[in-house]
Amino acid sequence: MGRALQPGLMTAPPFIDARGITKRYGPITALDDVSFELRPGEVHALLGHNGAGKSTLVKILSGLVRPVSGTLTMAGEEVTLRTPQQAQQHGVALVDQELSLVPALTVEENILLGNVESPFLQRPGGSRAATREILDGLGLRHVAPSTHVRDLAIGERQLIEIARALSRDARVLILDEPTATLSDTEIEHVFRAVRQVVAQGRSVIYVSHRLGEVLELCDRASIFRDGRHVETRAVSELDRRGLIELMLGDVPEPSQRDGLHEDAGEVATVTIRNLSVPPRVQGFDLTARGGQIIALAGQIGSGASEVLRALAGLVPDAQGDVSINGKDVRLGSPRRCVDAGTVYASGDRKGEGLFLGHSVQLNLVATRLPALTRWGLVRRGAAASVARQLIDVIGMDRKRMRTPVVSLSGGNQQKVFLGRCLEQHAAELLLLEEPTRGVDVGGRMEIHDLVRVAAAHGNAVIFASTELDEVLDLADTIVTMHAGRVVRTLPRRLATSAEILGDMTHGNSESRAGVAA
Amino acid sequence: MSSVALKDPRRTRELARTSAPFLILALMLVAFYVLPQLSGREATVFNVFNSMQNFAALGLVALALGLTMIAGEFDLSVVGMYGLGSMLAVMTGKDSALLGLGIALLAGLFVGLVQGTIIAKLRINSMPVTLGGYLLLLGLTATIGHDDSQSYPNLSVGSSLDSVVAQIFSLRSLVAVGVFVVVTLAMRYTRLGRDIRAIGGDRRASRTAGVPVDRMLIGVFALSSVLSALAGALIAYSLATATPDPGLAPLIFAITAVLLGGVTLAGGQGAALAIAAGAITLSLLQELFSILGTPTYVSSLITGGLLVLVTIIAAPDLKQWWRTVRTRRGGPTASAASVGSSPAATVTGER
Amino acid sequence: MTAIALRVNQLLDRRSLPVAQLLLRVITAAFAAILVIGALTTEGFLSVDNVKAILGSTAFVGIIAVGITVIMLSGNLFSLSLGTTTAVCAMLFLFALQAGIVVAIVATVALGAVLGAAQGLLIGSIGANAIIVTIGAGALQEGGAVWASGGSAVFPPKNAPGMSFLADTILGVPFAVYVLVVLAVAGEYLMRRTRFGREIYLMGENKRAARAAALPIVALTAGAFAVAGACAAIAGVLIGAFNQNASLLVSGTFTYDAIAAALVGGSVVTGGRGSIARTVAGAVVIATISDLLLLRGYSTGVQILVKGAVVLVVVVLLHINQREGER
Repeated sequence: MGRALQPGLMTAPPFIDARGITKRYGPITALDDVSFELRPGEVHALLGHNGAGKSTLVKILSGLVRPVSGTLTMAGEEVTLRTPQQAQQHGVALVDQELSLVPALTVEENILLGNVESPFLQRPGGSRAATREILDGLGLRHVAPSTHVRDLAIGERQLIEIARALSRDARVLILDEPTATLSDTEIEHVFRAVRQVVAQGRSVIYVSHRLGEVLELCDRASIFRDGRHVETRAVSELDRRGLIELMLGDVPEPSQRDGLHEDAGEVATVTIRNLSVPPRVQGFDLTARGGQIIALAGQIGSGASEVLRALAGLVPDAQGDVSINGKDVRLGSPRRCVDAGTVYASGDRKGEGLFLGHSVQLNLVATRLPALTRWGLVRRGAAASVARQLIDVIGMDRKRMRTPVVSLSGGNQQKVFLGRCLEQHAAELLLLEEPTRGVDVGGRMEIHDLVRVAAAHGNAVIFASTELDEVLDLADTIVTMHAGRVVRTLPRRLATSAEILGDMTHGNSESRAGVAA
Repeated sequence: MSSVALKDPRRTRELARTSAPFLILALMLVAFYVLPQLSGREATVFNVFNSMQNFAALGLVALALGLTMIAGEFDLSVVGMYGLGSMLAVMTGKDSALLGLGIALLAGLFVGLVQGTIIAKLRINSMPVTLGGYLLLLGLTATIGHDDSQSYPNLSVGSSLDSVVAQIFSLRSLVAVGVFVVVTLAMRYTRLGRDIRAIGGDRRASRTAGVPVDRMLIGVFALSSVLSALAGALIAYSLATATPDPGLAPLIFAITAVLLGGVTLAGGQGAALAIAAGAITLSLLQELFSILGTPTYVSSLITGGLLVLVTIIAAPDLKQWWRTVRTRRGGPTASAASVGSSPAATVTGER
Repeated sequence: MTAIALRVNQLLDRRSLPVAQLLLRVITAAFAAILVIGALTTEGFLSVDNVKAILGSTAFVGIIAVGITVIMLSGNLFSLSLGTTTAVCAMLFLFALQAGIVVAIVATVALGAVLGAAQGLLIGSIGANAIIVTIGAGALQEGGAVWASGGSAVFPPKNAPGMSFLADTILGVPFAVYVLVVLAVAGEYLMRRTRFGREIYLMGENKRAARAAALPIVALTAGAFAVAGACAAIAGVLIGAFNQNASLLVSGTFTYDAIAAALVGGSVVTGGRGSIARTVAGAVVIATISDLLLLRGYSTGVQILVKGAVVLVVVVLLHINQREGER
């Protein structure tokens, strides 16, 4: 299935040669002594789960982060990349997973933005012909270069991001999950562009979860797991099965649990009908019962997080019939949703979750001050005892009660955050977005146990995750989502990792040959 | 749901947004001509000249502040530099006005570079930094001026700066117009305009895309201070005096003009020409007050009200707030309507 | 310039972080040394009378600064119209005295709170920028005050009942100082022990998280500005009673002095960290510096200059220190 290797590809000296690269973020080692080489004229896939280290390697190669140790050679010359501009000067162009477009600028301005070779003097519309050509090549015939990026759909934005990288005539084009938000036709355009690039002897690094794309497009694949480089193989030697095995490693399929929990009195019932969250999600239906843990499994842009935010009242435009314990909830205001019994834990723990500078205690009781207040005064004894209960629930040392949250590890921060969300009142709807993002393996298991206990107490849990392992490990019902729609809903015991991965990365396993089946 | 179908209303909205400052200016011009006649007075060409004189001083301060706002920051120290610029020009330019002007501009450059470096390199909020900067400059101005107004002996400098050119301009207002033209051209025809709007629109994305963010920020703050110093020096020569504390009026003018010019506090949007339109609109308004003999407190009320009004219109959460209010106020009917045809849409409306 | 940039880059570099800490200590120590040396070598500085004078001049600014601290803690930067509010309230107080001292005080404090709350509502509900709204509101208040007073200063009615105690000294210390102490203690209690105070701290630390956690953002913001307005009104009452007349000129440098006190006290301008007690300390430090400069014969200009420099240095150093703490 893989492309026939070009003659001389295997013998040409590598354009990028990275040796012994290590990068740590706080206590987490994102890359551990990784080596990687990229030859001219090849499409090189980087494969692995979220957190495997692909994106970190990409960021190092494009000058966005600096490794702790290791050497980087480009075109035979040892280089240190301090800034994106320096990477650009060495011929690297990046299409970041998080888009780096400025919505307030036009398409043309965004394509020129940050190009170190862009001349000082510019004529508005001066590079319109060249821009037009690149846009047409990507199937963006209908997009005028003078359109503002904020007016484009998410898939179109992704293509503009790719157009910018193409416009730079780089020797190495890095595409980090370029197709997560694209339709089939749009993907074909991207493929054609990539093939053109390598036909000119330039190279492409292709990061993707989508195995079908890798098999179809790439020459070689490097597989990463837990920050380590597992193996680099010619794609022609591999098939889907083999790739999945390399990605998953020899981790056994997580034990399958019974969907039902012991009942603990009151049980939440949640029905969601016809939920729409502009601009992406439409017609979302779901029923959840206390004791149930439901995963919304999907990549960034699938709509899973948006559903949770809407249910938390954080999207003013969201509409739908939602009822919790028989009571209808009008969305659009966090206050109303909290009163109705929802508790939301954002995936952006630092930005939208914790009050970093404040103590563990204050963070734990932050959302329940009204209940702990008499005559406007916070009852200190009551607050302290609630905090003590919660810190015991999350299994942290009581001595840490007064520590500012900012000084805790990522795992402990997440536990404090979830602790705040637990046991607010009985029988509620817990909405957890990426519950273990940035948490190491040990912390992850503890957090999963917390969630299970919460469910066992009669809460309904809906969590959104982009991580396959987490979905399989924690959920008893899995709802796969893609491009704003539910692909399918199935009980955990009927799900296989390959199926879920296929749904998450491509929406529909039948529509496209070559997707993991 | 392709973008083709939606393109036209977007274009229209965009056009409305970018042309609003000029429409407001046009309305102002009509009012400037009509309103005095209603009360038996008349707006003369000299009144227009006066407006442009006001524009010459405060328009530049507006441009200075506006550039930092387009870049997503806020330079509170513009008034401080405006004051220091005028004091330096008066105190050091006694022998040669050009020397005084040069010293004022150099001081502006230095102040801007220091503030910009602190803000860019330390990634620190520009409000407290420039507030500190403002106090410092204010103190420096008063110290240099011995806590008192200082007069400039060479009156001929002022009269030649203010002599009428082409009926409505003076040398001073032509300098301001020239600066606006240069900045407009630079914003349109060089990389700089795009980069400034980019770092205001999305700092992280700009950095990833390869924009030299820190250098741009430092440059914007340097330019802001230089422009403020220029405005201060020119007005000082014109009035042949410099005060130890210009007060907050220039800042109020500048903010209102910038917001009238369509620059948002979120950054990433705005053009020098539109800021000029905003500043001219305000200058005309102030001149209109004096033609009509409006009491100061009325003009103060109108100026303050105008500032609050444009701030409300430019507020980032206005739309969102309105939507929330609408759903809340709507009660059962609105929410039933909002979920459309769904038969299950019965809401108890307990609130 | 590049040398400075390089230096700052080094400061930001993880490996040379201790340098930043060292710098912080060095500057703090140098500052303390200057103060001590200045104090020892300045004639008349270390006298009981001078200490009383410092306390007296701290009082008005301190009372306004207590209010501005609540705004700062709530994450809404600062208000640039509190000085004007103080002046407007002083005018209303002297005018309202004809209805009796109690009525006058209550009406004045209510006016301050309402003026503040109105601005806070606007800021909290639609996310309008606090600085700009307060500048505009300042102009509105000035216009309103001139309109209502006819542009002249307000004097108390001839036989003003029982307001002399407001301007008295008790045990040689002005009444206003006692008011400041009571307000600071009450404010600390409000911020530490009540739900309102705790939620202000939380909102100031992280507004997005507060929204996601369904804290009442609009009410908290309006409340914070109302408290600030009320503090400004109390200062207005005292100043009106002290001066026996009031006009817009009263506002003077109060706005900036109060902000400077809060910043020098170490409250973080972006919210959530700091305290009223620290602000009062900041106000004392600033009053001490001003007093020292005054005794040594420096002009008002130099005093403002030094205040600005101290604010700038404290803001930058606190920022560096805070970033270090978060690593």
